[in-house]
Amino acid sequence: MKGRLKERESKLKTKEEKIVTEREVDVEEEDAHEIPSGSDYSDEDFDEDNGTLTESGSEQSEFSEDEEIDNTSDGDGSTDGDYSLQDHSGTVDDISQQDQNDDHSHQEPKESDEDHRGVEESDSSEDEVAPLNTVGDVPLEWYRDEEHIGYDISGKKIKKKERQDKLDSFLASADDSKNWRKIYDEYNDEEVELTKHETKLISRLLKGKAPHANFDPHAPYVDWFAWEDSKHPLSNAPEPKRRFIPSKWESKKINIDPESLKPKLPSRKDLKPYPTTCYLEYRGHKGAVLSISTEASGEWIASGSSDGTIRVWEVETGRCLRVWELGEAVQHVAWNPSSDLPILAVSAGQDVFLLNTGFGNEEEQKRIKELLHVEARTGPDDSNNTASIVSWAQDDKHEGVRIKHFKTVSSVEWHRKGDYFSTVMPSGESRAILIHQLSKKISQRIPFKLHGLPVSSAFHPTRSVFFVSTKKNVRVYDLVKQKSVKKLETGLREVSSIAIHPGGDNVIVGSREGKLCWFDMDLSSQPYRILKCHPKDITNVAFHRSYPLFASCSDDCTAYVFHGMVYSDLNQNPLIVPLEILRGHTSSNGRGVMDCKFHPRQPWLFTAGADSVIRLFCH
Amino acid sequence: MDINGDVEEFSRRIQVRFVTKLKSPLKIPSSSIALPSNLTRMGLSALVNNLLQSGNADWKPEPFDFLINGELVRMSLEEFLLAKGISAEKILEIEYIKAVAPRKEEEPSLHDDWVSAVDGSNPGFIVTGSYDGLGRIWKAAGLCSHVLEGHGAVVTSVSIIKPKGMESSTVVSIATASKDRTLRLWKFDAEESFDHPKKIRSYKILTGHNASVQSVTAQPSGDMVCSGSWDCRIKLWRTNELDKGGDSVSIKKRKMDNEDEESQSQGEAVSTLVGHTQCVSSVVWPENESVYSASWDHSIRRWDVETGKDSLNMFCGKVINCLDVGGEGSSLVAAGGSDPIIRIWDPRKPGTLAPIFQFSSHTSWISACKWHDKSWFHLASASYDGKVMLWDLRTAWPLTVIDSHKDKVLCADWWRGDSVISGGVDSKLCISSEISV
Repeated sequence: MKGRLKERESKLKTKEEKIVTEREVDVEEEDAHEIPSGSDYSDEDFDEDNGTLTESGSEQSEFSEDEEIDNTSDGDGSTDGDYSLQDHSGTVDDISQQDQNDDHSHQEPKESDEDHRGVEESDSSEDEVAPLNTVGDVPLEWYRDEEHIGYDISGKKIKKKERQDKLDSFLASADDSKNWRKIYDEYNDEEVELTKHETKLISRLLKGKAPHANFDPHAPYVDWFAWEDSKHPLSNAPEPKRRFIPSKWESKKINIDPESLKPKLPSRKDLKPYPTTCYLEYRGHKGAVLSISTEASGEWIASGSSDGTIRVWEVETGRCLRVWELGEAVQHVAWNPSSDLPILAVSAGQDVFLLNTGFGNEEEQKRIKELLHVEARTGPDDSNNTASIVSWAQDDKHEGVRIKHFKTVSSVEWHRKGDYFSTVMPSGESRAILIHQLSKKISQRIPFKLHGLPVSSAFHPTRSVFFVSTKKNVRVYDLVKQKSVKKLETGLREVSSIAIHPGGDNVIVGSREGKLCWFDMDLSSQPYRILKCHPKDITNVAFHRSYPLFASCSDDCTAYVFHGMVYSDLNQNPLIVPLEILRGHTSSNGRGVMDCKFHPRQPWLFTAGADSVIRLFCH
Repeated sequence: MDINGDVEEFSRRIQVRFVTKLKSPLKIPSSSIALPSNLTRMGLSALVNNLLQSGNADWKPEPFDFLINGELVRMSLEEFLLAKGISAEKILEIEYIKAVAPRKEEEPSLHDDWVSAVDGSNPGFIVTGSYDGLGRIWKAAGLCSHVLEGHGAVVTSVSIIKPKGMESSTVVSIATASKDRTLRLWKFDAEESFDHPKKIRSYKILTGHNASVQSVTAQPSGDMVCSGSWDCRIKLWRTNELDKGGDSVSIKKRKMDNEDEESQSQGEAVSTLVGHTQCVSSVVWPENESVYSASWDHSIRRWDVETGKDSLNMFCGKVINCLDVGGEGSSLVAAGGSDPIIRIWDPRKPGTLAPIFQFSSHTSWISACKWHDKSWFHLASASYDGKVMLWDLRTAWPLTVIDSHKDKVLCADWWRGDSVISGGVDSKLCISSEISV
């Protein structure tokens, strides 16, 4: 340690001497400060000085050193000494260079060494090199006409130096090979020569590189963070309650995908088969076809028309097999649902006809003929009070039975067993709906009070329940208990048609305003669904006997086909999916499709048009 | 520019060699020729005709059809090669065959009512059934020789019974089915000819069906007939009269009515095949052991005659109205029904029940489809759209569309191997002849 210190001191002395020769005033001061403090200097400070010294002036470094003394680290003594020494040599070196001292050459390696250190250990203390002049940040032109340029730290004026005349200065600069390194410091009124090191720094800065050549911008990253979890939390406060209760704000946000609000309907493709295309037409009627009915096996279809004829068609080919001329517009035709009784019930005007279609084998024909034989009226029949309502009579012309009513009959519906059938006379008041029995040839009115104008009636497909639709509502009667069971409130203006699901618990009702109501009778007496699809009157509605299909037809010349699945599971509501719009009929006198019926065994729909054509839509 | 374009197009040439299986006057030298690639079937046909004419001065032009790799060419050669991915670098072998198209349309044979059934399996005559309840035998176009009288309703189906070893006999048996729920068997001498159609009566009435009988077909051996009906049953009946003595419940009343001394015996079904749930619309009996049936319950079944069990059950999803078995190995099933698509299945293919071919050029229900009895590829079909079409399995387009009917065509069949006969709602039996299959 001591050896080194001595060495340093001796070196310093040699340099000081040189300085004294050049700049008496400055060096004096420098000496005063530096020599005593030298041993205590920290390496850092010196590095600073060395690295950043630009405007030179040993005074500056001096100041910085003074300040830094407090911060000095208690580094190893030996290094301390080492560096301070080098440092001084550095600062001195600057000056010596100005003098073009030959020392320069041997000092260079030292300098680079310092550089190295500086890179490693410098942090920002450049500002601490105070300027010699203390005038501060005032325009220097204020001192233009003065003799001094400002004041030093002790308040003494700093005198201006003598100006070299331009020629001299030019000559001097031309002679001096290091002239390019010299710059004039206006503030301190002196010429400064940049060291090689400084020019290097500047050139590096100009290139956009880090100022120190030894600074590695891509040094491997040192991960100082302690990643492993600490054992103890920073805060020991209990979890706040709000973290456990749902957020009020979140719940206020409407965060629903509008698509999800749409009912999830199955794709139409999955609901095949259903009628789509019309391949067959049944032509022959001269007037609007008002009603159609399919035979139980699906081989034949009967139609009644406003031209006063009933026709029976072969479904497969569209061949008209038989024609009956009744002479009066046929309102309704209904094929007996029992396959061994191929009888047609027909309403035309005030009459209801029971016609023998001639199908069935000999035995069946024999039975039918017996059934359709009405004996002449005998005493007891006349005394019966129903006799006054209707009269049964043999009709030889059409090989059938004619039941004369007292008002226009709008519809005829068979009971599933094919013995009873009901007729509706909308203007028949208390006797508007009659139930007839084929085997006994008797008629009786229903033992219920009707509320409103009856439109149509229907038998329950399995139980002894009877449906009557009036203009506003549908009433359900139990025929065994002889009482009203239910009233289905349609909310419609005028009911036009009614159809019962083959299961018996669901009813669809079509209305003149184009609305179709689906009632689930287990659910409520209000409609389960109201479908508004037709722009004009719905003329008829129909259920398929075995496929989950139902249809509605309307005066807008279209028929709609829907998927209507009823589940045996009571918890599952019926599924209704619109499937297809069937077009093809043309409008005639403002009427469109008058009737629609499903084929009993195929997913096919027959539609009867006011354009006198019957169409078959197949899957 | 145009000329340039033409030249460019023309320069696309394909090396082609024509081959044929036709006999010598139709053969052309089998050297390879370079053809422009935009030639269509018409151009190829003209070319072959020119080549034939160069060898034989008095050659009459004839339409040809062309096969490349077993497929009929139905577009320009270039498109065809592109579509099939065939290289145009090699010499292309094109086989030519005579185009399958009727060259002659015979005078229609008029009926009194819709023609509902036709059978042309005997080259000597045609049997038709009609909506007036009569069956008719036609010796040629417009020449009716016999009238089969007796059915009380529409004759829905007719079938010629071809007894084995009786080919030389001129006496022919016919079975008819009707909507009056009966089948009738008839016999007549095919050689007889009269100025006026001769009315004949059935020798046997087969009763037992509970509803309209929709279809009848005869066993290839001729011993039995099979019928399908709206009562969902298939019944098998004997045709021979061996039991005539024992079972001759001749209807006296009828005998009294008609002075005809021929007795009419009633027959009952030998067996009933139960399984279909809806109308059995069509039955065919291609081999002695098995009957094929098609039904409105959307299924096609094959029944074993001995056991009465169905050995095959294919569902097709549509109502089937017509069925035929033929084609390759006489085992392809062709069927059509309530949609405009003719479907062809190969029941020998295990596992899959998807149709191997579908032809859909018709626009309405298919009412008939019949295989050609010699060719493996040719099929005739009739539809409610009023068209009869001829099909080749080697192309998806119809070979010919015969448009001779004004309204629905209800039945069709091949006749003599070179004619297609069809009957329809316009009460005509049309014969399109000189088809070179």
